[in-house]
Amino acid sequence: MSSRNLASTALLAVVALATGFVLAGQVKAQLLTPSNQVARYQALIRSVQELEATNADSRRQIASLRGQIDTLESQAAAQSAATQALRNEVADLRAHAGLSAMHGPGVAVSLRNGVAGPDAGAQTGYLVNFEDVQDVVNLLFAQGAEGIAVSGRRITPLSAFSGSAGQVVIDQGPPLSSPITVVAVGDRNRMQAALDDPSAIPGIRARQVQFRIHLTFEGSPDISLPAYDSSLQITHASPT
Amino acid sequence: MPARPKTGRRRTIRVRGISVWLIALLVALVATVQIRSQAEVERSLIGTDPTSLAFLIDDLHRANESLDAEKADLVKQRGQLQSGQAGAADQVLTDEANRLRAIEGLTPVHGPGVVIVIDASGLTALDLQDALNNLAAGGAEAVDVNDRRVLMGVPVYQTGGGVTIDGAVVAPPWTISVIGDANRLGLVADLMTQQLRADRRVRTATYRVESDVVIRSVLTEKPFVYAVAS
Repeated sequence: MSSRNLASTALLAVVALATGFVLAGQVKAQLLTPSNQVARYQALIRSVQELEATNADSRRQIASLRGQIDTLESQAAAQSAATQALRNEVADLRAHAGLSAMHGPGVAVSLRNGVAGPDAGAQTGYLVNFEDVQDVVNLLFAQGAEGIAVSGRRITPLSAFSGSAGQVVIDQGPPLSSPITVVAVGDRNRMQAALDDPSAIPGIRARQVQFRIHLTFEGSPDISLPAYDSSLQITHASPT
Repeated sequence: MPARPKTGRRRTIRVRGISVWLIALLVALVATVQIRSQAEVERSLIGTDPTSLAFLIDDLHRANESLDAEKADLVKQRGQLQSGQAGAADQVLTDEANRLRAIEGLTPVHGPGVVIVIDASGLTALDLQDALNNLAAGGAEAVDVNDRRVLMGVPVYQTGGGVTIDGAVVAPPWTISVIGDANRLGLVADLMTQQLRADRRVRTATYRVESDVVIRSVLTEKPFVYAVAS
């Protein structure tokens, strides 16, 4: 056999080997992603969308019911000074609980996802997460914020933050994702100074450098906060 | 006759050449299909993985149940107000005031829950904030840390002297009393204490579920300085 023949046979063997590997890879990929798996994923997405629609509808109904109750209370209060005094007290308590809309001077903080690192498959550090939102909210409350809303969702005394990478769930609301806006009413100079402090919110600061997460803020002489539109029930704690 | 073997060799070479090109073409085709199928999968799965979606569905189910309970409660309140009975409005308003006072930490409360004790050195305000958020996400209705009432909006701050709650230093060990669904809070406390015990700064982290946790600490209502009702 000539050296030319030998070379072409070897080339054929290499190409056949490569074909085998690629074919095996393809078969494996198809086994991992059968069409029913995609269908199941789509079914999950549809479930989430339906539940979110129900959630939004319930919150609209709650807001409407609270409005109707307020009107009925107002009518009753017009007939009695004692009822009026009670109503004023409840109105004040509702305002502190976040159950009524408010406005005043404040700041608007914007949080946006950064840029994925080279090993983005394993890292989600570039995504805004619920702990980032929690840290900003806590910072603003510590600086005297009198009311806060996160992307239109009002924070209450019982509010909690949760979620997975890139998703922020507040109380019973559907998940929020970047960009997220935290709006606070209060002493805006104090809040702005705290947001400017490089030692504050260290978790976000580190990821601003590593993943270019965006945190920007702006003071305003008049910012509006919506009323809380979800459940604020306590079923286990009773006054002593 | 001498031309025959030359022609045969040429044919063999041509056949081999065509074979190589055919196989190369096949490789290119399969590789393209492979790359494209991977891209399709990535595109369709962009965002959330199925496990996270399943958790999200669970959370949304629970959230929607809470919203249904709230709607039922509000419908009941509206019915009472519409009844026109003497004192109905006063009763609704008094109940609402009592409920809101408990939510805002203005009155002592009691109920089932858990008591968590954490003895550690070097834990920061961020650690306490995370713990409080975990408990709130677990349905905490009232929380007290070392006789200080805590809820969202009460400043938990890091100072040179340690962690402060509403301006007062809370030195370790931290005793966190929580009222809420004892089963749910028990699960949260179990997970929290397990994680804390793995932390080098923590000496001990324990919890107990109690049928009646009493929280006597209260907050003082702070009037708004900047906010105005819309």
